[in-house]
Amino acid sequence: MQAAHRLIEEIVSSSRIPSARRRREVLRELQAHVEDAISGGVTERLAVANLGVPREIARHFAWVYRRERAVLRLSVFLLSTIAVAGSVAAIVMAMKAGVAVGFGVPLIRMFNPRHTMIEAVDILSTAAAYVGLLSLEKLFDRRGFPKAAALLALIFAVLAAAFAMAGRPWKFLLFGLVAGFFLRTIQVLLKSHAARIGVVLACFGAVGLISLRPLNVASWVVTGLGYLAMTHLAARVDRALLNRLQQL
Amino acid sequence: MDIDREFLKGSVSLLLLNLLSRGAMYGYEIFQEASRRSAQAFEFKEGTLYPALHQLEKKGLIQSEWRTGENGRERKYYALTPKGRKSARDYEKQWVHLTGAVNAVLESE
Repeated sequence: MQAAHRLIEEIVSSSRIPSARRRREVLRELQAHVEDAISGGVTERLAVANLGVPREIARHFAWVYRRERAVLRLSVFLLSTIAVAGSVAAIVMAMKAGVAVGFGVPLIRMFNPRHTMIEAVDILSTAAAYVGLLSLEKLFDRRGFPKAAALLALIFAVLAAAFAMAGRPWKFLLFGLVAGFFLRTIQVLLKSHAARIGVVLACFGAVGLISLRPLNVASWVVTGLGYLAMTHLAARVDRALLNRLQQL
Repeated sequence: MDIDREFLKGSVSLLLLNLLSRGAMYGYEIFQEASRRSAQAFEFKEGTLYPALHQLEKKGLIQSEWRTGENGRERKYYALTPKGRKSARDYEKQWVHLTGAVNAVLESE
């Protein structure tokens, strides 16, 4: 039964059925089928051949379970975005509190409600763009990053247009998209952690320099560091949530 | 005689629902029954039967349950739901209508 078992494992592992329980059931079902064939007098080799081409069977299963897969991916995306945005916001705010203390600036000034709200929305938008890129890249077998980037840009453009038409603020979407692209691009292009840190510090610091105020430079630098932490966190959170939800 | 896959694709649901209208069956039994009744005309790969069954189950036309046979072997049995029973009758009517129309065209040549 080794050849049959290998074939069935291959079918199930490439079937992209989202639920682990369902995959186990398919495994049992196909095993029972081969056992029935063998006990009916068919050789294992023929039973395996009669089952068909693993990739083709897996493709049929993938088609049947496409909706469940989409729902799972969307759920993972939403939960990951919330978890990652929450964590990054906490990191950035904590570091900013440190900056405020270091510069002798009252915390109330550093965290005035309007500015903090804008910053929280920017972080949420950036996390959504970054996690969205990671999720969309999985849809493509080859050249995932550029295709995902194009698709995400389209989604954000539609959202921005809808927000603008409804008279709602939309610029945070543009900020999130640019920041998400930037962070994912340096992660794809630069393999060295030191180089990534250097580029992020330089770019975010440069944005802060526009105001020519040291406090703003420090504030932007810590924001950049928070986003850099996001690039480490997002893939792990995404993978952990996907594994957990697949077990349900 | 080999049957074109495209012909077979559209009729798989009808075949499966019709076979199951005579009682609950497990996968290998369904395959054997289809081969026997069609005098081996349906030579589709056995593994592709299961995605088709799962698709019907998702549509609520059939339901499944694991049962242990006399030899202690577990098998997943499929049976029609009331909705599946109705669909089986509808598909059969459509099939008779379609084949009648196709035959009429073919015979008129």
